[in-house]
Amino acid sequence: MRWIYKFRLRLRSLFRKSRVEKELTEELRFHLEKLIEEKVGKGLTPEDASYAALRELGGVEQIKEECRDMRRVNYIENFAQDVRYGLRMLAKNPGFTAVAVLTLALGIGANTAIFSVVDAVILRPLPYKDPARLVLVKERIPMATPEPIPVCAPDAVQFQRQNQVFESVAAFRGGQFDLSGEGEPERIPAERVNAGLFSLLGVQPVVGRAFTADEDQPGHSLAILSYALWQRRFGARPDVVGRTVTLDRQPYTVIGVMPRSFVFPLRGMEQGDAADVFVPIAFTHDELSAVGDNFNNSVLARLKPGITLARANTDVDAIAYRILQTYPPEFRDRIKLEAIALPLSGQVVGRVRTLLLLLLGAVGFVLLIACANVANLLLTRAAHRQREIAVRLALGAGRLRLLRQLAAESMLLALLGAGLGLLLAFGIMQGLVGWMPANIPRVHAIGLDLPVLAFTLTLAVLTGLAFGVVPTLAASRTDLNSTLKEGGRSAQRGPQHRSLRSALVVAEVALSLVLLVGAGLLVRSFERLLATQPGFRPEHVLTASLSVPQVQYKQDQQIRSFYRELIARLQQLPGVKAIGASTDLPLEAGWEELFTPEGYQPPPGAGLNLCSHSVILGDYLQALGVPLLRGRYFTEQDKPGSTPALIVSESLAKRYWPNQDPIGKRLKTGPPESKDPWLTIVGVVGDVKQGPLDAPTMQHTYESYEQRGLPGNSLNVAARAAGNPASLASALRAAVWGLDGQLAVAQVRTMGQVIDESTTPRRFNLFLLVAFAALAVALAAIGIYGVISYSVAQRTHEIGIRMALGAERSRVLQFVIGQGFKLTLMGVGLGILGALALTRFLSSLLYGVKPTDPLTFVTVTLILAVVALLACYIPARRATKVDPMVALRYE
Amino acid sequence: MSKPTDLVQGTLDLLILKTIALEPVHGWGIAQRIRQVSKEVLQVNQGALYPALHRLEQSGWIRAKWGESDSNRRAKFYALTPAGRKYLEQEEANWLRLSAAIGLVLEIS
Repeated sequence: MRWIYKFRLRLRSLFRKSRVEKELTEELRFHLEKLIEEKVGKGLTPEDASYAALRELGGVEQIKEECRDMRRVNYIENFAQDVRYGLRMLAKNPGFTAVAVLTLALGIGANTAIFSVVDAVILRPLPYKDPARLVLVKERIPMATPEPIPVCAPDAVQFQRQNQVFESVAAFRGGQFDLSGEGEPERIPAERVNAGLFSLLGVQPVVGRAFTADEDQPGHSLAILSYALWQRRFGARPDVVGRTVTLDRQPYTVIGVMPRSFVFPLRGMEQGDAADVFVPIAFTHDELSAVGDNFNNSVLARLKPGITLARANTDVDAIAYRILQTYPPEFRDRIKLEAIALPLSGQVVGRVRTLLLLLLGAVGFVLLIACANVANLLLTRAAHRQREIAVRLALGAGRLRLLRQLAAESMLLALLGAGLGLLLAFGIMQGLVGWMPANIPRVHAIGLDLPVLAFTLTLAVLTGLAFGVVPTLAASRTDLNSTLKEGGRSAQRGPQHRSLRSALVVAEVALSLVLLVGAGLLVRSFERLLATQPGFRPEHVLTASLSVPQVQYKQDQQIRSFYRELIARLQQLPGVKAIGASTDLPLEAGWEELFTPEGYQPPPGAGLNLCSHSVILGDYLQALGVPLLRGRYFTEQDKPGSTPALIVSESLAKRYWPNQDPIGKRLKTGPPESKDPWLTIVGVVGDVKQGPLDAPTMQHTYESYEQRGLPGNSLNVAARAAGNPASLASALRAAVWGLDGQLAVAQVRTMGQVIDESTTPRRFNLFLLVAFAALAVALAAIGIYGVISYSVAQRTHEIGIRMALGAERSRVLQFVIGQGFKLTLMGVGLGILGALALTRFLSSLLYGVKPTDPLTFVTVTLILAVVALLACYIPARRATKVDPMVALRYE
Repeated sequence: MSKPTDLVQGTLDLLILKTIALEPVHGWGIAQRIRQVSKEVLQVNQGALYPALHRLEQSGWIRAKWGESDSNRRAKFYALTPAGRKYLEQEEANWLRLSAAIGLVLEIS
């Protein structure tokens, strides 16, 4: 019980301080009065008595202080005193404080913002039940591509049936629906899912129910809505369950609404963006009989408890082997089919992990530089305060007590910096989220939450220690005698002090050079990317995506006449120079198909003959401006019944018919055994980047819509305008709605926008890294400036003497700049070594540039050198303005 | 922050505890009583008395209470806590053992 009593006393001493003080005074006064009484009793006059009493008692104040000491709460009070004193010192030097806090805020703010992204995207577990046991099952056809690919429908069913390692397996496939009815028709992302998917993920609808296994068969038109769609289009009405929505002109009954937090699929699951509506996947008979075709279903599975990934891999690979035996012989003999189970989290975040960790590393560098700068500032200030510290030491302050006080000041700076940094981070994050490229998953989860705040606080404490410890130790080593003896002279610090500051500057320069090289490499990559010829002329081209619903357009003839009529109408529009349509737009295609050139003998070890493929209508190639190299574009003569015609890309023609005229040669889709008709090449056009600009160019073939018909029911319209393509948009919509008022016109974009979107991820990386590098260089420049101008200020006397003895101004300038330049050179040397060691981590983000690109290294070194020179020049010029007379008198 | 407990200090603590063992006494009274009981041999340094009192209070051996002094003035009275009483017994025993031991040594020489 004694400790409770003691604790109460401490609290009382701490918080009822004035009362305790009063009691102490009163207690001592009582004693004094008694003492005086006694003396008077002995015959002294009251006056003499009180003097004698005071003498006998000793100093009242000293006794009080000793009593206070005894109360053992001094250390807490001292802390409060340190904080108060620190705040007062900071307030007294607003310039210093502002620079230091701002520097730290920039460093900490940038780090917090990037960390919040890293936390949301990488660190936090996926928002599903027990996500560590979730895997994606993928297939692999090594001859076609080393990358695992999604699964074809019949195989997905086999994985479900045959596996022994999964608790449950669910397939899903992304798509889109035209949502019509109330309001403008809208294209929304949709997902066909196995009934078991939701329970596999451990999520159930908030309103209504999930699909049952029976409903996962063809013939059930049921839909589950996303929370967002429910809010947006259905006013969050709970009676939405049981209502009918029109998807692709077909009525679907709503049976449930998913919770707000449910986002599916995530990027990296290869089935598009978070879906707004879910329907049963209900594989049709046709889909299930397309063996070895259409590898485009994702398969999600939950490992049974205790099953390792390796065990699962063996199991699915064995299933793949059995599946291959059921493939048609022409496949079975030629290819190998493998399967692999990949951890879901790796699939979702794997691709952006490198990028985000890289960005985190880059901001980390910025923070280090910021710390070095603040440490330098503190060292400068410590020099000015040396006398103050010496006096305090002389008056009996303990060194420990002084250290504590200096540390409190550093911590205050760090915390102020962190506070401002948080505000900054909030601003940066708002900007970042809107800017985030489409390939970063879980962007919606980014925010300033508890882990992020904890990170910032830790960062503040660490930075406080990092920049505070050096000057604090330096200050505590203050030599009392020499400092006090120096008297009025401006304190000249020992050489070890100067070399400390120099070392900090060298480190800053080195760090910022590394960042600059990284940013430089990305800039060069981007330059290369923009210089990459897409193979068509994107200016003046407007595109839009249309998808006629099967319900209404049952006959192929209906679809044909719709698109034909649309193209004809659009052709009439004033300002349209050429118009056409295609199944795929450049930069956004990517599917490759097997084909067989007639009479081609593959050299040993050659891979499969693969090309991407589109079906085009009207003057599509002319509208995009794809140059015709040989032969002709499609014309009226390519109609059903005439010889099937084909236009191929230059690279395909050159590969299979080198040094020959490819016109008149034939090829067909599928393997040599395929029954597909032979297609005769009538034209060769330039290579077009069908996939991303930074991916290798694919071989490509174009077929005529008139002859081939449309695979599916979607087409992308491309119109070449005489003037601004954006001005065609409303005319285009009007033309579509003139033919069909319920059809959604999606993704109306100029080709310039399509290109922009394809380069957004790079722009994002580039912008951030360049911003960090610029920040780093600016901070390093401030660092150099600070050190040089401080040394100039210290050596005013020396410079004055030199000039009085006849040194020329140019010599002085040279001398000062040379001093700064030496530091810069050392930093650059170290920085180049660092960059050589580190830039290889960048290689996955580079395009057309080696991580050791000499041009980049030279350029950024020059940039840094110029900035450093400028930073030295300003104080150097000040040095030359020193008036010898003033300088000499100054001391 | 704590003072080294040399013999004098330890002794002062013991004297204070013993003095207030019977009834609560204020600081002045403690000094007076020690002087009287020791027949003017022990003069308590008044500057050391109050810090010692505050330390003993912080340690939880004694507790303070404001009350009326004999001359009807407010004074701070100190009394033993139960823990303090035990502590006093211990220290008393220690002291007796120690002084007896010292006495033995002195007799022999």
